[in-house]
Amino acid sequence: MPEEEITPELFEHLVELAAFELGAEEAEYLRAELNKQLNAIHELEAVPLPPDTPITSHGVPYTREISAPPREDHWQPFPHPEKLMAQAPETEDGYIVVPDIPHEEL
Amino acid sequence: MEYEAIIGLETHIQLNTETKIFCNCKADSWGEPPNTNICPVCTGQPGVLPVLNKAVAEKAVLLATAMHAEVQRVSYFDRKNYFYPDLPKGYQITQFDRPIAIGGYLDLPMPEGYTRRVHIIKLHIEEDAGKTKHANGYRLIDFNRCGVPLIEMVTGPDLRSADEAAQYLIRLRQLVRWLGISEGNMEKAHIRCDANVSIRPKGADYLNPKTEIKNVNSIDAVREAIATEIQRQIREVEAGGKIEPWTLEWDEDAGVLRKMRSKETEADYRYFREPDLLPLVMDEEWKARILADFPELPLERRARFMAQYGLPEYDADILTTERALSDYYEAALQAYNGDPKRVSNWVINEVLRLLNERGLSADQLKVTPQYLAMIIRLVDKGTVNTSTGKALVVKVEDTGKPPKKIVEEEGLAQVSDTGALRQICEKIVAANPKEVEKYRSGKTSLIGWFVGQVMRETRGKANPKEVQKILRELLG
Amino acid sequence: MMELLRMEAHEIAAAVRAGKLSARDVLEATLERIASVDGIPGTIGGDPGAEPDKIHAFITLTAERARAQADAVDAKIAAGEDPGPLAGVPFTVKDIFVVEGTPSTAGSRILANYIGPYTATPVERMEAAGGVMLGKVNLDEFTFGSSNESSAFKPTPRNPWDTSRVPGGSSGGSAAAVAAGEGWLSLGTDTAGSIRQPAAFCGVVGLKPTYGRVSRYGLIAFGSSLDTPGPVARSVRDAALMLQVIAGRDPHDATSAAVPVPDYLAALEKDVRGLRVGLSPDYFRIVRAEGGELVEEPLPAEIKQAVLDTAERLANMGVEIVEDVPMPHNRYGIPAYFVIARVEAASNLHRYDGVKYGYRTPDRVADMREMYRKSRGQGFGLQPKLRILMGMYVSAAQYSERYYQRALQVRTLIRRDFEAVFDPEGKYRLDALLTPTTPTAAFPMGAVYGDSVLMQYADQLTVAANHAGVPGISVPVALNSEGLPLGVQLLGRDFDEATLLRLARAVEDAAAFTAKV
Ligand SMILES: [Mg+2]
Ligand SMILES: [Zn+2]
Repeated sequence: MPEEEITPELFEHLVELAAFELGAEEAEYLRAELNKQLNAIHELEAVPLPPDTPITSHGVPYTREISAPPREDHWQPFPHPEKLMAQAPETEDGYIVVPDIPHEEL
Repeated sequence: MEYEAIIGLETHIQLNTETKIFCNCKADSWGEPPNTNICPVCTGQPGVLPVLNKAVAEKAVLLATAMHAEVQRVSYFDRKNYFYPDLPKGYQITQFDRPIAIGGYLDLPMPEGYTRRVHIIKLHIEEDAGKTKHANGYRLIDFNRCGVPLIEMVTGPDLRSADEAAQYLIRLRQLVRWLGISEGNMEKAHIRCDANVSIRPKGADYLNPKTEIKNVNSIDAVREAIATEIQRQIREVEAGGKIEPWTLEWDEDAGVLRKMRSKETEADYRYFREPDLLPLVMDEEWKARILADFPELPLERRARFMAQYGLPEYDADILTTERALSDYYEAALQAYNGDPKRVSNWVINEVLRLLNERGLSADQLKVTPQYLAMIIRLVDKGTVNTSTGKALVVKVEDTGKPPKKIVEEEGLAQVSDTGALRQICEKIVAANPKEVEKYRSGKTSLIGWFVGQVMRETRGKANPKEVQKILRELLG
Repeated sequence: MMELLRMEAHEIAAAVRAGKLSARDVLEATLERIASVDGIPGTIGGDPGAEPDKIHAFITLTAERARAQADAVDAKIAAGEDPGPLAGVPFTVKDIFVVEGTPSTAGSRILANYIGPYTATPVERMEAAGGVMLGKVNLDEFTFGSSNESSAFKPTPRNPWDTSRVPGGSSGGSAAAVAAGEGWLSLGTDTAGSIRQPAAFCGVVGLKPTYGRVSRYGLIAFGSSLDTPGPVARSVRDAALMLQVIAGRDPHDATSAAVPVPDYLAALEKDVRGLRVGLSPDYFRIVRAEGGELVEEPLPAEIKQAVLDTAERLANMGVEIVEDVPMPHNRYGIPAYFVIARVEAASNLHRYDGVKYGYRTPDRVADMREMYRKSRGQGFGLQPKLRILMGMYVSAAQYSERYYQRALQVRTLIRRDFEAVFDPEGKYRLDALLTPTTPTAAFPMGAVYGDSVLMQYADQLTVAANHAGVPGISVPVALNSEGLPLGVQLLGRDFDEATLLRLARAVEDAAAFTAKV
């Protein structure tokens, strides 16, 4: 087996970035899979890559002819903002309610 | 020891587009109930995609050009990822390493007489987040502001005092209004500012650790918060302490700085290219169209007014605070075709008063530059006297009628007919023997009182110079 | 009824438009079919092993909505109006598309209670063309998988050819439904092969159009630079009919390309004589990944044979077969995908945070951060978590250069492989590449799920097209020794779906393959 790149410490950091609360068993599975995947990802290092190789963000090149122009600045209100609000888990006076964000000021 | 402050500002300027940056919602939600000016896109519903508002790019190019920045032919949008409940997508669409414009500067003529040049590092387009409101033990979220278009502009560490920082905001506000890209209303937070502040011994060429003051949203707040922080840093250093790279928050009501979360773990925003948007290609043709009507800028116009019209700096400065006002002045001057200073006096005294009283901008006035020029001419020719001329400015604004017509209708023309005036003067002298007695016994200052009586009799229409001449004769 | 079910979608539409069939009758027959073969729909907390002989394609059947649509089509006919090219054709939608007023779940607990507040552009276009939406079909959670087993809605779909096997994924519900006669068409999505692979497993046609050809508006995003909506259908002609309706520029999607949409059905009528089709040895080698170890081995013989037989039949029709076409970077498709798709996915899944819609933890929480952690921890299944965590890692500031930037450079090389072989002035001048669609036939349920690397390599022959943006289509051509369908894939030039469909039609005509229904 390849060496573990995603150590338990690094894994904890990623979990924090991802904002997950994980069970121990779940965490163990995820960390093991990540390390397996990294093993596959390291295949990329074998690719001979001329240093000036550009990146490709989309496969199909967006030439001028096929690129759509930006949107005109015309107001068109969405007819049902209440449908969006109806999805919210908790609301009060038209606001969405969330828990507090403490310790902002020290 | 003498210290100098090193200040850099990051400003967010809210653009006055009709719609938000990536959706068709109205850009401005001022005064609207929470969560009503929203749509699937700006609330980050699953499956939605952003589509760039053309006007945002165009306004950014205008500002960039005014800042002498280099507009990039191709710029890119990126995602800045972080969790916050007012950020519905969990990322902000912004421009990171390839912004729409790079470099540039803004010159700040300081009241003390010198000019501070502030360099601009970059200028980019991004979307605003929503608003959060404290409630008792929880928070309330309003998404109306999500997706409002912003330009973020970052200066170099070029400002040296709180006053200079304030001056930067004053000039920036003037500029964005001048260009018509933002209302520039600081009460509505159309310009928001973060300030980076450090100090060093005067003349030193190194930089010390800086603190960042977040969200200072008025010109006074910028001046006070920075001045307070400079004093704090000086006290700290004098006491042998060290400046820590804190993030601070200015409490405007209490006039104190508070320390926010420590910066030691700089958030990892994991920036990457926004795959849902194509690169923004600002080709020469589009740019030329945007810049076709690019205006003379306020500082250039200010200098020209001094050079071309011989106006004092004071006049030139006031006349160029707002573009519409300076356009008004020049149009009036052209129509008047005479002494520029004379027109300036009328604009600064009469027109500006009217604008302030009525909350108007110069291009909204019914008393057009042409009408103003006519009024000044009427005064010059003695058709009306000065005070009638001033009253005419208001009357024209109230009625929209040409000044001459009002003069005719209301019979405001000045009475210069010596015969008629002599009759009235004689009548006044005859009716006031006590005052005549006093005058003749040496109290010559009463001449003003006599003139006033004649003016009253003529309902202000008499030519005061002529009246005085006749009265002196009669009383003499 | 079976008579009706065996008709093709274009025949249904023609009959409805001619007044020979009513849309309502077609719908009722389809609903009956669904009632007899589908079994209970997938639900959160459902029994994965329930009714093992049923298909379980659906999450949400919207029968009443469908009846209203069918009646509207019939009313138009009665009024002498043209209801459109999909008149009365029942179709399903992969539950990764948002449809107004219907649950739009992405197969995840975190969106299980989400009701669409707007409608995805491709669905809107199908409905506007007279299509009748039957409902939402199951998928891998957020499309993260190649077997459909990762859906939070159980039971997950089963392969109509052998219900002990997976239908493939992530458009597994789409492929299973179409193969089982539960609607003629299905709207799927393909990020690494998610239309083509399940189509191959279920013996139906699956088309991944060129990136930018079909609007992504309303497609719940996974890998935004790779995601492509497309048709799953029982015939090439039906896939062409559906593409005709959903293709074309959409002002709601800035990446939807301003390229005219040709007449795909007319293109099918053209002869394939003289077209140049390539075979690449790089598609006859596969990587087997078990326990994280990667082993290169030859493609299974019967799959290779299916490709070669297809090439021979095409040659008999006058197609020029070009051998030994190099596609050297194909094998890096999966490693690059592991990076690019994860970075995009981690960011796209940031929005599921319990604040404004979807799942919010019922637990007491001390603060906002805890609410995020619990809602996301409880709302997401293992596969989204795995993708998010990997995305966090490879895009972190200190690793991004090593992984993400490099993966995007490798993507450039993958793209260049295609550009070289399709170059009209180049050595190969191909109109299409002919390859296998999958390295295996449908595998048994439970055989792969859990090994995320092995599962990902199920897409190793399809993912390159997503990196490169080019169109690809899978056409069923044979059954293997176990009686399971095998598909071949045609890969074509940017926006040239017409040629691809034309060749696919020839492949379909010549193949000795009979649909399940
Ligand atoms: Mg910013
Ligand atoms: Zn909006």
